[in-house]
Amino acid sequence: MRPLVSKSSARRHAMVDPDVHLMLRVREGDGEAFTELMRRYQNRVLLVLEHLVGDRDWAEDLAQEVFLRVYRARKTYTADAKFITWLFTITNHVASNALRTKARRREVRLRPAANSSGSGRPLERLLQCSSGQIPARQLDKAEMRDIVRLALETLSERQRMAVLLNKFEGLSYADIAQIMEMSPQAVKSLLSRARVNLRQILIPYLESGKSPEMSLGNDSRQAGADSEDDSGANAK
Amino acid sequence: MSDSPRPTKITDEELIAYLDGELDDASCRRIEQSLMSDPELRRRLQELERSWELLDHLEMPSSDERLTRSTLEMVAVEAAREIEQYSSTRGPRTWLRWLLGLAGLVAVGALGVALGWWWAPDPDRQLLEDLPLLENLDCYRQIDDFQFLEALHQRGLFQEDWPPEG
Repeated sequence: MRPLVSKSSARRHAMVDPDVHLMLRVREGDGEAFTELMRRYQNRVLLVLEHLVGDRDWAEDLAQEVFLRVYRARKTYTADAKFITWLFTITNHVASNALRTKARRREVRLRPAANSSGSGRPLERLLQCSSGQIPARQLDKAEMRDIVRLALETLSERQRMAVLLNKFEGLSYADIAQIMEMSPQAVKSLLSRARVNLRQILIPYLESGKSPEMSLGNDSRQAGADSEDDSGANAK
Repeated sequence: MSDSPRPTKITDEELIAYLDGELDDASCRRIEQSLMSDPELRRRLQELERSWELLDHLEMPSSDERLTRSTLEMVAVEAAREIEQYSSTRGPRTWLRWLLGLAGLVAVGALGVALGWWWAPDPDRQLLEDLPLLENLDCYRQIDDFQFLEALHQRGLFQEDWPPEG
């Protein structure tokens, strides 16, 4: 993989990162530094994981796996990049592996029940969630939260990861690119598609309480296309 | 009719990069000029901004001491396992290190003896080599002429089997 920034430049940035210093202390066997890093990042990792895998308990298990990996990797840790990019690279790998494993298991388990009547598609649940006729200003916080969460679930896994890192961690395209092992240009496209999808789903709710039925078909097709694009977005 | 160039279409990707502060100054200026003159572009920008802000409604995980404690316990178990592994691998390694050290000492000792044997003269060996001379030393002392002694030696006078039989 071609580095996005020079090694010396990355090291310079990393050395002003207080979390890098904490991690270097962890490398030297300082348990308090590890606890401090956990205190700083546990909820942030959990937030990303919860919205990636869509299940709190599973997200907690994965968050533990992330910090366990951080601990195991402490002896080989080098201050070549910001700590947060290193941590979320691990988070991304853990989440991707877990989702891949789950998808493989689900494929095997659900194949005979493919025509079951229950709908697991986020957009369809989105339609069921709201009457589709409630004006935006009347949506209470809980309903709004559910709608936003379901809208997020319509995104592909990679789009969601990029959105969460960009929105809640405030990471630049370059940082996200490093975490997701893509080029910054690919991240730019990924985020663009994700945010356009979110707009197409959320704005109709806000504007007129109208359900996104008209765009449902388009969105579904778009999501499929995006998934294909996302999987091929690694090329730099 | 106006000859001014038609403004290039601003894509959603550019608008989003603009909102994210990921564009260079020239691109920012171009978008800002278009925003001033294009209400449709302003609407698109506002919609993108608004839908992005809606993500703030997502539930944030609250601080969870139970999870922290549980994770730290897992790490402690991992640390204990590492120590155990280290100890189990350390035993044979120590034994091997001692064995190698001992072998090294033996090798150094043997080399020392060999070198000593090679370089330092052994007095017994020298005495053994000089035994015929020592046995006849009293006789030799009575003869002052070295050349005469040399001649006797060449004729075999000092050999053990002298005089020759027959």
